[in-house]
Amino acid sequence: MNRRFSFAVVLLLVGAIVGSAPPASAGDPPDAPSGTAAAIEHFEKHIRPLLHEHCYACHSGEAKTLKGGLRLDSKAAIERGGDSGPLLVPGKPDESLLIKSIRYDGQAYDMPPDGKLSDRDIAMLTDWVANGAVYPGTDAEPLPAGAEIDFEEGRKHWSFQPLVEQQLPVTAADPWVIGRTDAFILEKQRQHGLAPSPTADRTTLVRRLFFSLVGLPPTPQQIESFVEDPSPEAYDRLVEELLGSPQYGERWGRMWLDLARYTDTTESWLEQTNNAHLYRDWVVKAFNEDLPYDQFVRRQLAADQIDGLGLEELPALGFLGLSPTYFKELLLPPDIIKVIVADEWEERVDAVSRTFLGLTVACARCHDHKFDPVSTEDYHALAGVFASTKMTSRAMIPNDRYAPVAAAKAEVNKLSEQVANLKKQKPAPEEQIACLEDEIDYLKRYTPDYDTPMVSVVVDESLHVEMAGDSPQAGTKLNYRPEPQDLNIFVRGNPNKLGPVVQRRFLQVLQSPTPQRFVRGSGRAELADAIVREAGHLVARVIVNRVWMTHFGRGLVDTPSNFGRLGAKPSHPELLEDLAFRFVENGWSLKWLHREIVGSATYRQSSAAEPSKQSIDPDNRWLWRMNRKRLEVEPWRDAMLAVAGTLDLSLGGPAEAAEDATNRRRTVYAKIHRREVSKMLQLHDFPDPNLHSEQRSETTTALQGLYLLNSPLLNELGKALSERLAREVPDDPVARIKSAHRLLFGRDATDDEVRLALDYMNGSSDGGAGAAWVQYCHALLASNEFQFVD
Amino acid sequence: MLGAAQVLAGEDSAGDPAKQLKTHFAPRAKRVIHLFMNGGPFQADLFDPKPALEKYSGQRPEGADLRTERPTGGLLPSTVKFQPSGKSGVPVSELLPKLAGHIDDICVLRSLHSDNPNHGPALMQMNNGTILPSRPSMGSWFLYGLGSENQNLPGYIVLCPGRPVRFAELWTSSFLPASFQGTYVNHSDLTPGKLIPYLKNPTLDLSAQRRQLDLMLKMNALHKESRGDDQALEARMNSLETAFRMQSEANEAFDLNQESAETRAAYGEGHYANGCLLARRLVERGVRFVQLYYGNGQPWDTHSKHNESVKKLCQDIDQPTAALLGDLKSRGMLEDTLVIWGGEFGRTPTSENGDGRDHNHHGFTMWLAGGGVRGGMTYGETDEFGFRAVENKVHVHDLHATILHLLGLDHEKLTFRYGGRDYRLTDVHGRVVSEIIT
Repeated sequence: MNRRFSFAVVLLLVGAIVGSAPPASAGDPPDAPSGTAAAIEHFEKHIRPLLHEHCYACHSGEAKTLKGGLRLDSKAAIERGGDSGPLLVPGKPDESLLIKSIRYDGQAYDMPPDGKLSDRDIAMLTDWVANGAVYPGTDAEPLPAGAEIDFEEGRKHWSFQPLVEQQLPVTAADPWVIGRTDAFILEKQRQHGLAPSPTADRTTLVRRLFFSLVGLPPTPQQIESFVEDPSPEAYDRLVEELLGSPQYGERWGRMWLDLARYTDTTESWLEQTNNAHLYRDWVVKAFNEDLPYDQFVRRQLAADQIDGLGLEELPALGFLGLSPTYFKELLLPPDIIKVIVADEWEERVDAVSRTFLGLTVACARCHDHKFDPVSTEDYHALAGVFASTKMTSRAMIPNDRYAPVAAAKAEVNKLSEQVANLKKQKPAPEEQIACLEDEIDYLKRYTPDYDTPMVSVVVDESLHVEMAGDSPQAGTKLNYRPEPQDLNIFVRGNPNKLGPVVQRRFLQVLQSPTPQRFVRGSGRAELADAIVREAGHLVARVIVNRVWMTHFGRGLVDTPSNFGRLGAKPSHPELLEDLAFRFVENGWSLKWLHREIVGSATYRQSSAAEPSKQSIDPDNRWLWRMNRKRLEVEPWRDAMLAVAGTLDLSLGGPAEAAEDATNRRRTVYAKIHRREVSKMLQLHDFPDPNLHSEQRSETTTALQGLYLLNSPLLNELGKALSERLAREVPDDPVARIKSAHRLLFGRDATDDEVRLALDYMNGSSDGGAGAAWVQYCHALLASNEFQFVD
Repeated sequence: MLGAAQVLAGEDSAGDPAKQLKTHFAPRAKRVIHLFMNGGPFQADLFDPKPALEKYSGQRPEGADLRTERPTGGLLPSTVKFQPSGKSGVPVSELLPKLAGHIDDICVLRSLHSDNPNHGPALMQMNNGTILPSRPSMGSWFLYGLGSENQNLPGYIVLCPGRPVRFAELWTSSFLPASFQGTYVNHSDLTPGKLIPYLKNPTLDLSAQRRQLDLMLKMNALHKESRGDDQALEARMNSLETAFRMQSEANEAFDLNQESAETRAAYGEGHYANGCLLARRLVERGVRFVQLYYGNGQPWDTHSKHNESVKKLCQDIDQPTAALLGDLKSRGMLEDTLVIWGGEFGRTPTSENGDGRDHNHHGFTMWLAGGGVRGGMTYGETDEFGFRAVENKVHVHDLHATILHLLGLDHEKLTFRYGGRDYRLTDVHGRVVSEIIT
């Protein structure tokens, strides 16, 4: 259609609204137009410039970001209104949202946001509405902001494909190749003109394996027994030994806790259980027992709803039961509280979708996902599950056995309150107080299971944010109801602007042809099942990549919690497919996966960089060598404690502050507080426990340098290490220096190193007595070699 | 992982806050001091006179019935008188006579507003841009975007003589690398060595420590010899050297005794005065962002005995704040140092239980000075009661956009990819209030 013709059509189509305009009354301002042509002329001359100047920046096709779903630049758009509904009622300015908003009287939106229009402009727009809001234009809809999602097309994305065992490349026959993994790695190396690095020496390998699998350094004896074991099975035996040690679960459980945004301390407004560690210990145990990963996933979402599962598995629900919660001031009206509650539901959708699925579903709260085939309906279908789930705590004993405990606790609370009140009296009735206290004591002591631990879990109850009284001004109450709820779409993420209801169900793109509605309670169990069954291929890829990343320092996919279209493509797609396929075939066994990875020739390569290969692939994307890795804060601190001889290896239980001078336990047991992360951990890249963390950042700062130079921990452990060495090697300084190197680095000291140490001792003011050794040991602990693994 | 700033600079700062990065356009301000009146000061006592309150005293006319955190009663007039001040004649409260002398350098924003009337969420919004405890604070965005000018000091320092509510969440780097977080300093005890964590060795003096450091560096050099060019190893060695220098430099920076008696007298006494002087010393040494919380907890939260408290609070801030502005100016630093003053929200013109005022996020005052901001002006208006911002409204997002703009950063381009989205300090909002920029 050419321009001139379309103009003619526009003129002809000026219609509906004009037609419904009431006749201008006697009270109209003199310049108010009445006839159609005059009305349009008036619009173009006076109204459009106003709209253009004050509104179009946010409410037109020229808006960078369209606000409130409202456009003011076409007739159809004006008739349709925005997210808040109809914009205007022609002829009735007082009932028109547009006019209410520009009047700035607090009844509507107070537009434009940067200040009220002049009285003249307001009068002009009011008259325009009063006269029927004539707007030239056609009835055609403007283009929708986003096109419909094509789910069939969306399912073609690589990570949504079923898993297929891959054909081995021809490189499989190469003698370097130990396992299937190596064949794929070698193929890529060759494609890029690269070749594998030599196998690392055995002392390097044993140190690497220890840190990889248990997060601790090997003792000199452990190194020796491996290095001197000529058997070809020695390596595999060591791997088995490490995978079988309880320290394996501590190391790998912590990897999971980053994803699960684990905290030891929950917010004060929740029921305090002080038993968050039961979830952490459950995770550690699950790793140690090699709980199949699909079961591991299901239990964390629905351990309370899986047939045949004992109550001792309830702590698994801590993944949801320890979720971040945000403060809700119930004196405020429901519309404010609804936003906070909606933010919490979004947090659950975000944590669950990124942790298990590697998808960023929370992006679809306000609009269809801009890149992935995830619709805002999908988001609300999942959010409904969490809107029907309540965080609470419960005992790990059957309900009928717990009932008398609950009654006794209620009674104790009541009596304690009475005691508190009596104590306020002057003089306090001592006798009566003593009597009540006896009663409390009796209840606590003789009620069976009174001290049974309470664990942070979720139950199926839906949360409804309602007015506390007759008006919003009366504040808010939070009502939990036993029946689940489906959510209305929150238009543009706003829970105070509701669209149609969406039934609870799984993501459309991951379920073919259409997702089944969840019908059991909140739908948590069905969601869990859908995740591991319908999306099992995706779930397997995501966890395989996380494990790979932890071993190599870099994933095959660089965006470990985003396997969507905006995520990175795998560097070795066939390898990832093959590993994930066989991981599922092998019963979702993580220990199987570790064996595959650390057993490979790829993993056993030296980390030394050869300049010629370095120039081809400086990032080592094609894994022609092992990456040198810096230890995270946990294995670093643990290793310092271990070599100083002060590490306490007791398992599980409540956390202790990382800074406590007496805390010599593994760092996985250091107390995590969401509001106040330990300074020591925070300095060393420990992730924010308010958020799912897909990967630790690795920073090097002067504040870390200060920690190395001055922290009590380094100073104390330097002392402990020097005492240990003095005890074990009392006389010969050279032997002691060599022993220190074996202990810390698993190797002998070079002559240069011995000389360096002796020079330091001899140059010290105390001539090499105790203090110089303490400083020397401190320096060893602070060294690069101790924090990096070749 | 890193986003805009690295792209801009054409290099990877890899989370190194000591690295300086290029801005999107020429910055007006190179450093920021944020004087945070935690608890929330009442605008109509200080910079936004509302004579109409007298007329409606005790009443609750239409428009004066907005919902805040707690129920409030009728309008409660301010007892404070205002003076037209400076050449500009901008009215300033009689409670701030010394600060009034600097009004020609100050731009009073009378039309701030935010989303939530509770302290926690409002503190979070003012600092982190959302009411959620899971977004990077503006200071960490500054460091991410700009790096630091002095690698011997932390680039982002939070001073408080005690602990503000929500504490470390207010200076978190959240999903930005941990090195961009604020360094919290409780300056109620000014003993050198206590202010920055791990600043002082418990046993070694500096020369003994230098020997130990040389030992460490030699060990590391031997280790690195056989490992070729590895930046991670090198960076960690450098961090030790920097840390060693920081021990002296930070001690020096935090040592107020190095100031002349006149300067000390000009700032006056007390934690807030010390904080203002520390702030000047720190920005002078290249610290990018200093945030000074007025006091422990939320001292400006005057739910009762409002008038009494405000007198004391103003007495406490007037001289040091004025001295800070004067000091910066006389050193030629005010032109590229942005000073921000304000709370997490304001207070109600209505009364809470007769002598108190509740939180008010509908409309409140903050002011900016220096760093490319026009002085001697007011911007925006609240309604006749001072309850709601009505004209030229400035949301906290707009404030953030403006601050970033003054620092030479485009708030829409300073992004970080996390969880599938490019995050910004201003989320999807924010308007640069260009009317207040010179």
